Amino acid sequence: MPAPDPAVPALRTEGLTKRYGRLLALDSLDLSVPAGQVFGFLGPNGAGKSTTIRLLLGLARPTAGRAWIFDGPAEDVVAAHTRLAHVPADVALWPRLTGAEVLDLLAGIGPGTDLAYRAELVERFALDPSLPTRAYSTGNRQKVALIAAFATRAPLLVLDEPTSGLDPLMEQEFRAAVREARDRGQTIFLSSHQLAEVEAVCDRVAILRAGRLVEVADVADLRALHRTEVSATLDGPVPDLSAVPGITALRTDEEPGGRTRLRFALTGTPTAVLRALAPADVVALRMREPGLEEIFLDYYGEHRDVRATAAPAGADAQVGR
Amino acid sequence: MTTTAPAPTRPILPTAPGRVVTRLAVRQVRRGAVVVAALSAGMSAVVAATYDGVIAGAPGGAAALAALASNPAIRTLFGEPVALDQAGGFTVWRVGTVLAVLVGIWAGLATVRVLRGEEDTGRWELLLAGRVPAPSAVARHLAVLAGAALAVGAGVALALLVSGTPATGAVVHGASLALIGAFGIGVGALAAQLWPDRGTAAGATVAVLVAGLLARMVGDGVEALAWLRWLSPFGLAALARPYDADRVLPLAVLAAASIALLLVATTAARHRDVRGGLLGGARRRRSHSALLGSVPTFALRSTLRPLTAWTLGIAAFFLLVGLIAESMTRFLRDNPAFADLARQAGFELDAVQGYAATLFTLLAVPLGGFAASRTAALVRAERARRLDLLLAAPLTRVRLLAATTTATAAGSLALAATAALAVWAGSTATGAPLGLGDALAGAANVLPVAALGLGAAVLALGWAPGAVVAVGMLPTAGGFLLTVVADSVDAPDWVAALSPFDHLALVPSTPPDVPAALAMTAIAVCIGLIGLVGYRRRDIRGD
Repeated sequence: MPAPDPAVPALRTEGLTKRYGRLLALDSLDLSVPAGQVFGFLGPNGAGKSTTIRLLLGLARPTAGRAWIFDGPAEDVVAAHTRLAHVPADVALWPRLTGAEVLDLLAGIGPGTDLAYRAELVERFALDPSLPTRAYSTGNRQKVALIAAFATRAPLLVLDEPTSGLDPLMEQEFRAAVREARDRGQTIFLSSHQLAEVEAVCDRVAILRAGRLVEVADVADLRALHRTEVSATLDGPVPDLSAVPGITALRTDEEPGGRTRLRFALTGTPTAVLRALAPADVVALRMREPGLEEIFLDYYGEHRDVRATAAPAGADAQVGR
Repeated sequence: MTTTAPAPTRPILPTAPGRVVTRLAVRQVRRGAVVVAALSAGMSAVVAATYDGVIAGAPGGAAALAALASNPAIRTLFGEPVALDQAGGFTVWRVGTVLAVLVGIWAGLATVRVLRGEEDTGRWELLLAGRVPAPSAVARHLAVLAGAALAVGAGVALALLVSGTPATGAVVHGASLALIGAFGIGVGALAAQLWPDRGTAAGATVAVLVAGLLARMVGDGVEALAWLRWLSPFGLAALARPYDADRVLPLAVLAAASIALLLVATTAARHRDVRGGLLGGARRRRSHSALLGSVPTFALRSTLRPLTAWTLGIAAFFLLVGLIAESMTRFLRDNPAFADLARQAGFELDAVQGYAATLFTLLAVPLGGFAASRTAALVRAERARRLDLLLAAPLTRVRLLAATTTATAAGSLALAATAALAVWAGSTATGAPLGLGDALAGAANVLPVAALGLGAAVLALGWAPGAVVAVGMLPTAGGFLLTVVADSVDAPDWVAALSPFDHLALVPSTPPDVPAALAMTAIAVCIGLIGLVGYRRRDIRGD
């Protein structure tokens, strides 16, 4: 398989829109995923993540707009799909075929498979390939699709909630396989609800809400935008923190035993706070970086009424270009 | 937080969760039940109402028809004629077997669909997580299905009553149809408990019913084997002799067998896991990767198993047809008057070629069923989301559909060849002079009708995927029913011409109607292409 030109985005959409009757499932999505990245695709249930993936794969037909896979039109599935592999959210297999037979079928029709790497993945994911797939659990069905996709070495992997059925050990294998794929230069488009997983493997994320793109950012930048939560329990006199830069939402609570508990949010470095607390008798200090989860809860909370307040059309459209 | 917490509410417990399950079953069964009931009652009413004008007025009248129908071969095919001198008896003889097969197979397949099909999709896990235990859920579905079978029987009885036939006969015939439905439900229910996948359960159900039909045919045709009819639901219905003896005992046997099957199925539901079956557990086995390398070969591999089952059924039926050919044609040669009469009743039976030709036209119906069921399997793969993995590969929908349609068409050709070989083997064994070439020509003659069925199924796949079986069966089974009714009631020509069967020459006794065959093939290709356009444009969607 020829190495993709790094300047060409692995996938790109322009005004991609899908209506199901009166329901607007996806509203003019403009998205560009650079080649070589692990790109997280996040959003609450019904945000339009799976619809986007079905449109990218040509399983659903767009109401408006277009999509490209490595600059080739997505609707030309023969050309587009020789450069991608897919793991669906809900893996359904042929119940009478064994796992090995399904892997052979997918290799037979797929974009080319590295059989040695596939055998290694079967071992690593601890899949019993001699069972009929009827006997597989959700997680085992997912493993079959994951093994088939990772073994293809296609330059783009489109994974739709691929780990919802995996146990924590297999989840680790999944993350390792994602890193190996990235190291080989593959692009990974990962739709997920597992924010810890996205945090662990993704370079960049896009957030979708109610069919609209609301944010595209590097994971590191997203975190920097957000605040660290600090809680300090003090014995004795309480220093005045109100003038310390970066502190907001300061709360002071009297605790039993004459102690005082301070809670506040901190943006930026903690140096000034630590200096201000130094003279006090600090019994306990806890600092917590917000997880992606909180960032998103925060995010959805803040943007809950994005549509109701009639954001100007096209405001989201420039994001991520 | 200063807002007051909402007062705790008590969860709403419906007093009768079982009724919710019953309503669900009704929703899943009612559409098919209404169609089958309307078709059965409508056909019976039309044939009974026109009896006086058509049969009684024919030369020789009903008496001549009765003599014809007493021939063992005719009896094999259409059942023992009883009371042909009355509208009711004639209706039972002319459309009773067709309706019994329709009701039995519909009931059996609907049962497999609502039990095993729903379980296959995983919906029963959700259903059984509620307060209704599995045996009770099964029993409620079976009760609803049995109610539907009863409604079909009642509809036919009512139609015959309204047409002015005697009440006892109407009730006996209606009851026998309802009981054949109940038997089909029992077989389907048991198969759904035994096998953990819908395809095998449906195949086993149809196999049992077809075996029952063959047992009835042999029992009717061969006097020494007449007892076989007591082993067949169709035979028991015939033994009830509606409009003649109106016997209750055979129906009681059929009712007892049906009830036993229903009870065994309900009990079996207690002894197995959801999504499991009593047979065919998921055991480790050696993988066979033959024919998995490409989409066309995979389509072929997926076709082989169902094709084997269809081949066995068709081979058995047409072997029987071949075995009785000699007896049939000898009778008609000895009684030339009956040959004319037969021609009038729609059967060209005076020579073995004519006899074979008439019987080969029947072949279009199973060929249509095969095409519709294979196309429906593609819809099921889509609904189960199996196609998502296939279509994420470098593969267009056109190629996928071309591969499956080609495999289906090749399977249909193999089935037609099987029928030809079976008739030839049977007739040769009994000394009837039907050449292999004639047999092949007769079977090949119905291929355009089968093609129409495949085209219609593909049309529905593109534009109304939920209706693939109904639309796919329209040219073949629908056309056949229309021809049966049109022949029996002397319908206007344009009505008869709506059926593809009206345009089939009786090959090998007459040369093929090449323009008609070409026209039907062209129509089949056109509607298939329209279906392909729809299939390319629409979304692939699971349920």
